[in-house]
Amino acid sequence: MSDNKLQVGRVLRAAIQGFVAGCELKQPDIPRFGSFVRADGIAPGSAIYGLVYNVSLEDDLFARHFVGRDIDEGVIKDERNNRQVPVEVSVLSVGCGEDGAICQCLPAHPPVTLDWLYQCTDEEVRAFTARFDYFRLVLASRDVPADELLAASVLSGAAARPEHEREPFLVEAGRELARLMASDPLRLEGVLRRLQAV
Amino acid sequence: MTLELSRLSGQVQAMGQEMAARKQAYAERVAQAQHWLSEYAEQAGQLGQIIRESGSGAAIPTSESIDVQHLLPPIPERFTFITADGAEIQPDSHGVAFYYLINIGALVYRHGSGQTPEAYSQPAFGYTEDDTYEDGQPVTGNLLDIKRDLAEITCLADLCAAEPPDATTIAVVDGTLILWTLKDTPPEYQGDKVQAYLQQLDHIRRAGADLAACISRPRRGEVARLLYLAHVGGDIEKANADPHHPMKRLPDYAIFELLPPGARSALFVSPSQINEKYYRPDGHTVHFFYLNLAEEGQQPAIARIEVPAWVADDAGRLALVHGAIIAQARITGDYPYALVRADEMAFISSREREAFEDMVAGALVRAGVPAALSPKQYYKTLTRRGKRKFR
Repeated sequence: MSDNKLQVGRVLRAAIQGFVAGCELKQPDIPRFGSFVRADGIAPGSAIYGLVYNVSLEDDLFARHFVGRDIDEGVIKDERNNRQVPVEVSVLSVGCGEDGAICQCLPAHPPVTLDWLYQCTDEEVRAFTARFDYFRLVLASRDVPADELLAASVLSGAAARPEHEREPFLVEAGRELARLMASDPLRLEGVLRRLQAV
Repeated sequence: MTLELSRLSGQVQAMGQEMAARKQAYAERVAQAQHWLSEYAEQAGQLGQIIRESGSGAAIPTSESIDVQHLLPPIPERFTFITADGAEIQPDSHGVAFYYLINIGALVYRHGSGQTPEAYSQPAFGYTEDDTYEDGQPVTGNLLDIKRDLAEITCLADLCAAEPPDATTIAVVDGTLILWTLKDTPPEYQGDKVQAYLQQLDHIRRAGADLAACISRPRRGEVARLLYLAHVGGDIEKANADPHHPMKRLPDYAIFELLPPGARSALFVSPSQINEKYYRPDGHTVHFFYLNLAEEGQQPAIARIEVPAWVADDAGRLALVHGAIIAQARITGDYPYALVRADEMAFISSREREAFEDMVAGALVRAGVPAALSPKQYYKTLTRRGKRKFR
């Protein structure tokens, strides 16, 4: 399951509902909001799937010193590539897997500190988004921008599919959203507009 | 918290008033020194031999007038600025084992290239008996400082050697080029250590790089002593005997706050006996000048820059060192950027120190060796973590 090219960062702190990983900015692919990521589970062959809901940069007094100065290109690259100001990636747990079988539910255990966090491959994203049970976990979470996150995750699922499969996938996801958000049509409209905007 | 700050507040206020009262007298002494700098510009130049023979501790003038100011020279578009700095964990006889750790940080900054600077952090762990004892003495305090100084200059020399031979390279160490900490050690030990250090200076020179050391807000008063010596007509005995010596404890940097931004003072030779005894015969006589690192319109930021003779005697090399250090200081405003970063790369935080101590303790336990703190350290650990106040 491990692939160096897809390593995002290492888990810094974790709970059942979600976890935070630290990564360096020089990583060419800082995970996007709403993208699918995976951490190894405690049991061999198990995995925890999550959705990136925040990417934050910690404050740094030395970097602050340069705000308002004419900054040399070398300083900018030194800051971004060498100075280990951690970029923190916050992840909402939306599923777990064992030996290839995926369950869209909270994991039994959180990932372990300093475990690698990986970007999911297109194949993994397609497998995970074959069902939409994780929508409930996102909607039930109070700590994430749920509507934006749902829309972004659906778009990630669409992007992982071949061109001809994207529209049917979006329509299917829209139907599931309509069912879950039927009691709040204004909110539903907002999410659907986000999907149509692409 | 057991430090009774309230009991210190009176003394701290008194200190503030003392500093304010001293400020006027200090300003007068600085003005006097600055006046003497031009008044005795020519006489001071003739005192070199007297100072060398007397060991008075006054700066030794060179062929240029001591009040000369060299404005900022043109800065080359492309050059490589390499810095190194070090930090250490001292051996602790109360710890779980007797060991030391030296961490050397370095930065290679390629001006005008747009490239990412190369940052290095190189730890050296000393734990064998050969590492931790030298001539029967434990390697602590000054002895470890000397090891660190040697590790810093070796790191610089290695990085300089890795540069292309035709590159314009300036290597800068944080602090001094003179191993002051050796002055109270036995002569044979002193000789070995200085020679090892000077070998690295040779390597840097052979690599085609220019070398300097940068000391921020230096406390040394060698030029002030020179000025007073000139004032008393070069009479060493009179200068040394005068208890009201107005230049006593006046740091040189205060005198050179008159330098315009980016300008440097005249060159002087360090009067250190180690310089005369070891550096000079090997062609590395340490010279120094003062340099105002501040930008236009800002308060002066005076640094002492030391260079070996092979840089000091070459006007082109000297101008390059001058301009390169200012170019680096312009990045932050008043201090070379690469020195800040080298310090950051070398720094061992208290968390890292604790993590390393845990690693050592774990390794000892796995090897079946008791890993116990001394009783004194054990109780200190108990009282210093989660300290509470009962009063």
